[in-house]
Amino acid sequence: MSAIDFSDPATIAFLTDALTAAGVAGLEISAPSGQLRIVVSSAGEAKIGSNRSAQPGSVSPVLVRAPLAGYFCVAHRSGSAEVSSLPRAICATDVLGFIRVGPVLLPVSAGRSGTVTKLLAEADAMVGYGAPLFEIEVQS
Amino acid sequence: MMPGSIDKVAPSDKQFDTVLIANRGEIAVRIQRACRELGLKTVAVCSEADREASYGRTADSFLCIGPSSAAKSYLNKDALLLAARLTGAGAIHPGYGFLSENAEFARVVEEAGLVFIGPDASSIATMGDKISAKRAMMAAGVPCVPGPDTALPDDPAAVERIALEIGYPVIIKAAGGGGGRGMRVVQEAGRLHEAIALTREEAQQAFGSPSLYIEKFLQHPRHIEIQVLCDIHGSAVWLGHRDCSMQRRHQKVVEEAPAPGIPPEVIGPVGLACVQACRQVGYRGVGTFEFLYEDGAFYFIEMNTRLQVEHPVTEMTSGLDIVQSQIKAAQGNPLEVSQADVQCEGHSFECRINAEDPDNFLPSAGVISDLVLPEGEGIRVDTHIHAGYKVSPYYDSLIGKLIVHAPTRAEAMIKMREALSRTRIGGIATNLSLLRALFEDEAFGRGETDIHYLEQWLKQRGAR
Repeated sequence: MSAIDFSDPATIAFLTDALTAAGVAGLEISAPSGQLRIVVSSAGEAKIGSNRSAQPGSVSPVLVRAPLAGYFCVAHRSGSAEVSSLPRAICATDVLGFIRVGPVLLPVSAGRSGTVTKLLAEADAMVGYGAPLFEIEVQS
Repeated sequence: MMPGSIDKVAPSDKQFDTVLIANRGEIAVRIQRACRELGLKTVAVCSEADREASYGRTADSFLCIGPSSAAKSYLNKDALLLAARLTGAGAIHPGYGFLSENAEFARVVEEAGLVFIGPDASSIATMGDKISAKRAMMAAGVPCVPGPDTALPDDPAAVERIALEIGYPVIIKAAGGGGGRGMRVVQEAGRLHEAIALTREEAQQAFGSPSLYIEKFLQHPRHIEIQVLCDIHGSAVWLGHRDCSMQRRHQKVVEEAPAPGIPPEVIGPVGLACVQACRQVGYRGVGTFEFLYEDGAFYFIEMNTRLQVEHPVTEMTSGLDIVQSQIKAAQGNPLEVSQADVQCEGHSFECRINAEDPDNFLPSAGVISDLVLPEGEGIRVDTHIHAGYKVSPYYDSLIGKLIVHAPTRAEAMIKMREALSRTRIGGIATNLSLLRALFEDEAFGRGETDIHYLEQWLKQRGAR
């Protein structure tokens, strides 16, 4: 079986139609030959981005999301998580904040190394599952 | 709300000012409307797939509780309780489906100091087990399908004797079953043991219990329902009856109230027996007794201990807001109506509009590009969809309910035909063409259709 050519306009058009029909917001395919990203806008028009191969040293933003519903705490009282100065380099195991449910504080880890560039939720705000909390720029 | 309120102890009395709606779609909209009209605040919850739901914007609070999978969101008891605590909700309305008939959920809600808007856990458990439900109904004088009110014994000879006493054909059912699953019809004695073995295996796999029971299988029954409303002070009323015979694979497609052609002197005693049964088991809130009706006789099949999808047809004929009444009952208020006050008038139909292919019934997900819904006197549409709404593949395909009310059944049929002709939903496949065809069908027009009619009608239609 031959590999699908994701740079073929006909393939991209087919995938775009399929995504639009299924109401799927977007798709990203990574292959050894490169990367294809299709984003279907609310008006039904697709934005297509493709690069034949990721450029070494390029930067891509990644969101850190709430793992459950609760109150968002930027930093623990002990000061173990500092986000006062942004941007800030972090490693994957760093705790960026907490979700508080009653007396329990659930740490929110960065998950990957990079640079925290944005704080996306307000301190002490109630956030739902999956709410974006931080943006990290990851070096590829 | 201040973050610290999570630590407060929830009120132990029945009064509450905020209701968390543990459901989605049209019923979330319907419950939100009832709460708002009662001056109550609402908390809408959603999965990731429903983040853009319009009812989220009109709720006082809106919280995503989990991923798109229902098991991790709408069926996640812990996530729902957590959402209630975070938002300060004093009560949880389960709607229908999902956790609405889950006795364990009702119990943990009440143990958390919140009010479960529905019957208590023991009522749900009693009625959820078909054998104990039948026993309770027989004790209250509600007519049941011929067959013992006990589980099938293991002794093959004893089972054969029971089946012979009932008379073939018989139906073997899982005690914990529902939704048309876990049942087999046996036409003759030679097939009995094989059917029992298969159903027992299915019951164990699907419902976690191998317990079975046996009943007479009725050949051409109609599906008739009686709606009840009860308070915690021992008062109960029945709000008339519905016919839900128009079913495909045990899923209702069209419902109507009242059930056509059943004399008041036949159904009246059955309605009163249902009310009596509610009093005997201390039932609270709304509930539905489901019956098979054949040759002028009623046979109890099960009780649904929740709000039904088809509750609007009873609201249209009785003039009562069933969802508001349910919430008031959960608050501990006495019923505002007596049986003498319940006067059902006119005739009402409900069509379930599903996002599905009208020929092969496969669910249809996608974006609604164009939407025209009918309006006018005696026309009601319960829905959560709008132009641009994305129908998710994760959940039930019901996207709306079209309800009409008119002085007579014939006039209500005309009104439904007219309303269906004015309904347009573009961008996805729907069953609108099937519904339009059904309302042109002569036998349905005469009110003579049983629960097998739609399946046969579809077969003939497919053969043409």
